[in-house]
Amino acid sequence: MMESQFHIIITLAVIFGFYMAWGIGANDVANAMGTSVGSGALTLRRAVILAAILEFSGAFLVGSHVSETVRQGIVDPLIFTGDGMSFMLGMLAALLAAGVWLQWASWKGWPVSTTHSIVGAIVGFGVAYGGLSAIHWDKLGTIVASWVISPLLSGTISYFIFRFILRFVFYRERPLQSAKRLAPYLVFFVFSVLTLALVFKGLKNLNLDLGTPAAFAVASGVGLVASLVAVWIVSRMPEQERDRRPGGNQAITNPATVQALEKAVKHLEKVQSTAPEHMQSKISDALDNVKRLRFESQKSYEFHTNTAEYKSVEKLFVYLQILSASMVAFAHGANDVANAIGPMSAIISVAVAGGESIAAKTPVPLWVLALGGLGIAIGLATWGWRVIETVGRNITQLTPTRGFSAEIGAATTIVLASKLGLPISTTHTLVGAVLGVGLARGISAVNLITVRDVVVSWVVTIPAGASLAIIFFYGLKLVMW
Amino acid sequence: MRSIAKVFGRSPFVPLQMHMEKVAECVKQIPDVVAAYRREESETVEALRKKISRLEHEADALKHDIRNSLPRGLFLPVERVSLLQILSLQDSIANRAENIGVLLTMKQARSFPGFDDRFDDFLGKTIETFELARSVIDQLDELLETGFGGLEAQTVKELTDMVAYKEHEVDVIQGVLLRELLAHEDEVSYGDFFLWTRILRQVSSIADRSERLAITVRMTLETS
Repeated sequence: MMESQFHIIITLAVIFGFYMAWGIGANDVANAMGTSVGSGALTLRRAVILAAILEFSGAFLVGSHVSETVRQGIVDPLIFTGDGMSFMLGMLAALLAAGVWLQWASWKGWPVSTTHSIVGAIVGFGVAYGGLSAIHWDKLGTIVASWVISPLLSGTISYFIFRFILRFVFYRERPLQSAKRLAPYLVFFVFSVLTLALVFKGLKNLNLDLGTPAAFAVASGVGLVASLVAVWIVSRMPEQERDRRPGGNQAITNPATVQALEKAVKHLEKVQSTAPEHMQSKISDALDNVKRLRFESQKSYEFHTNTAEYKSVEKLFVYLQILSASMVAFAHGANDVANAIGPMSAIISVAVAGGESIAAKTPVPLWVLALGGLGIAIGLATWGWRVIETVGRNITQLTPTRGFSAEIGAATTIVLASKLGLPISTTHTLVGAVLGVGLARGISAVNLITVRDVVVSWVVTIPAGASLAIIFFYGLKLVMW
Repeated sequence: MRSIAKVFGRSPFVPLQMHMEKVAECVKQIPDVVAAYRREESETVEALRKKISRLEHEADALKHDIRNSLPRGLFLPVERVSLLQILSLQDSIANRAENIGVLLTMKQARSFPGFDDRFDDFLGKTIETFELARSVIDQLDELLETGFGGLEAQTVKELTDMVAYKEHEVDVIQGVLLRELLAHEDEVSYGDFFLWTRILRQVSSIADRSERLAITVRMTLETS
């Protein structure tokens, strides 16, 4: 009897877990990749393929940290000792509750987070079973604090990265040249952070668990190689048209010079109209010379004021944004996969142990992580690409330099949270990052009302998820017991 | 709905430039209407006056649209006050163009030798001033791209200086025109004198507003 019940519960857990992963791939990845599609850094097709690979890698390689937290960090598994069934049913109820709540919220158009829903639901069944003391309140406090801190942190990082780009690229005499010089350093940063996230106390599953010095050494090594590749690519990029013209290095004419030459022409014309006969030919020669000078200076001045150079900078940043988008996809996979497979792996580990040894700390099985990653990829392929397209169409204001800044800020924050095992909302983190770029005067109009939406979602989702989980928990108990 | 797209508000900068384009169309009609006025083709003058009024009305509609699309929760890289000031200055230029059209339909005023040529110079300089100010508004895209600093900010500063210089020239010519009008006060009827001074004031006001427009944009620049 027990055996068949386990089978039913495991099957249900896998189905619901997979469904949650599918939903993350279908809806949430759009926020991570939409920025790149919107800025034109990636075509839709490439974005989907890249996201599928990196989301899977993130989930598979680094996803276990946050999954551990969701699995046993919020509710104390010890209180279920001897009653593994309730724990399994509770986790199943949490999955169900989060799924239903998300469905309802998106139907209503509320900006709620998958992460918040699942955390709320787990808190709900924990309280229902073991009372208030069943919850690791300190851990929950850390998690909730991280929801507030993560958008602030990503916004701050993005703000400074964008100010940095403004200062060292756009405020320079030759923006494109400066951008080319800066690119390898940015590449170094992206690759080092990503590698560090992977190797520092990560990859336990692959026996690649390095300590601090070794991890930093490996990270900077990878970063160095990547930046050398970047140097090579940048050197092969075509120079600005202007530079190839003869005398191109003096092409920038000070507007004041243009203005002064204009005045000179006027004064010479005045001289010409009043000067005596014998001076006329010399004056008209001088006038012709000055007029020619004025013409040339005006031409170079006009050329300078057109947007060609800034466009080239953006084109260069298209490549960098592919990197930052990859980083976001990776980080997103690492953090959000836990929402789906955290409860699922909790159920499975109890079931495998025969419904008893809950306290035993077993790692999240690899195949479960893979299943979560796969679910995300399938969600992306079946529905997510549509959402990415829609999101991308709506955020064309985000040019590659802005997109890069926002994505780096968000990705760094998410990677950090994932390493700390904190389940945060990727969407909110990205919203914070975009606001950061906006505050740095990078975006033509930023809607601050979204901040209110984000805060409302913090307040509403936990009680809603918790209440639903309690209902489902007792419902399931009635059916299964 | 849990989408990042909601963070992005509707940009007011492109509509602002569209508004300026409409204003420019109004201003461009002024030489035509003046020319028709000199040929004493009152019907053409009336038709052009109507055209300017229609364009001004279209600009007005755009202005209201921009104002309405600036909700409180919108964060802009430029201060809202500056943006609204730019808008109302642009709007006032279109109004001046309309006023000139209306004044020219009032009465066929007589002029005297030399006045027309100088007036053309006056009008020409005014329109140059306006066009320079318009090019400053056209730079808003690039300013946004460069975060209101760097070379682009330098360009706008230089342009603003040029606008100020041109506006000064317009002022000087206006003074000369007024002096000439007074010198010929015996030949000019009271009504004509009144009309000409009103027209001069409206024209020079376009240059004046253009200068203030450029200065307002300049004030949005990063000071680094």
